[in-house]
Amino acid sequence: MPYYETVFIARQELTSKQVEELTDGFVKMIKDGGGKVAKTEQWGLRTLAYRINKNRKGHYVLIETDTPSAALLEMERQMRIHEDVLRHMSVRLEELSKTPSPLIDKSGRDEDNNKEEAA
Amino acid sequence: MSEHDSKESGGRSEGAGGKRTFFKRRKSCPFTGPNARLIDWKDVRMLNRFISERGKIMPSRITSVSTKKQRELSQAIKRARYMALLSATKQEQESRSWDSRKG
Repeated sequence: MPYYETVFIARQELTSKQVEELTDGFVKMIKDGGGKVAKTEQWGLRTLAYRINKNRKGHYVLIETDTPSAALLEMERQMRIHEDVLRHMSVRLEELSKTPSPLIDKSGRDEDNNKEEAA
Repeated sequence: MSEHDSKESGGRSEGAGGKRTFFKRRKSCPFTGPNARLIDWKDVRMLNRFISERGKIMPSRITSVSTKKQRELSQAIKRARYMALLSATKQEQESRSWDSRKG
C-alpha cells in the first residue's frame, strides 16, 4: 500500500479536544478502509499566512498513513464536506518519516540553521 | 611577463588554469552531496531561505540550487503556500521607495 501524508487545517474556534476527536474520526475512516495510520501530529493553533474563509488562525493536524487509495479518497471527501476543516492536502510519500516534522521539532536542526544564517 | 598576463586575465576568464583561488569559488547546491538537507514542504524555516522579501521564489542562479532540486523546491514552496504556511505575497516595507524595485 502506498504511503501518504495528509495535513488539514481545522477552524480556530474548536478546542484542542475537539480537534483530536476530529482527527480520530479521520483515522477511523482510514482504518475502516483497510489502511494503517503511521502517526498523527498535532501542530496546534498556528497563525495562517493569509486568511482562509475569514479565519486568521487554524489548528494544523498531520496524519501519516499506509493505506489503499480508496480509503484516502473517502477521507478526503469527508474533509471537503466537513465544515470545520478549512483546508486539506494529501501528498504521496516515498517512505514514512522517522522524525517528527520540522515544524514541531524545535531542537537541533533549527538551531543549526540559525547559525548558518547568522554567519 | 607571462605571469603578469595570466594574473590579470585569470580573475575573469573561465578555463585559464588553476590559479584563481579567490574569485571562482562556485557555491554548490545546498541539497546535493553527503550532508544535504531534504526538501520538505513542511520545513518552513528552510524554505524561507529560498524566498525573497516579497515572498517570491528565489532564482536558482542566486541560491545555486541545482535544476532538479529547484524543481522540487518550488513544488515544496507552492505546497507550503497552499497550506498557508507561507504567504504568496508580502507587503513591502514602507521605507523602501517605489522606483528602486520594479515588478
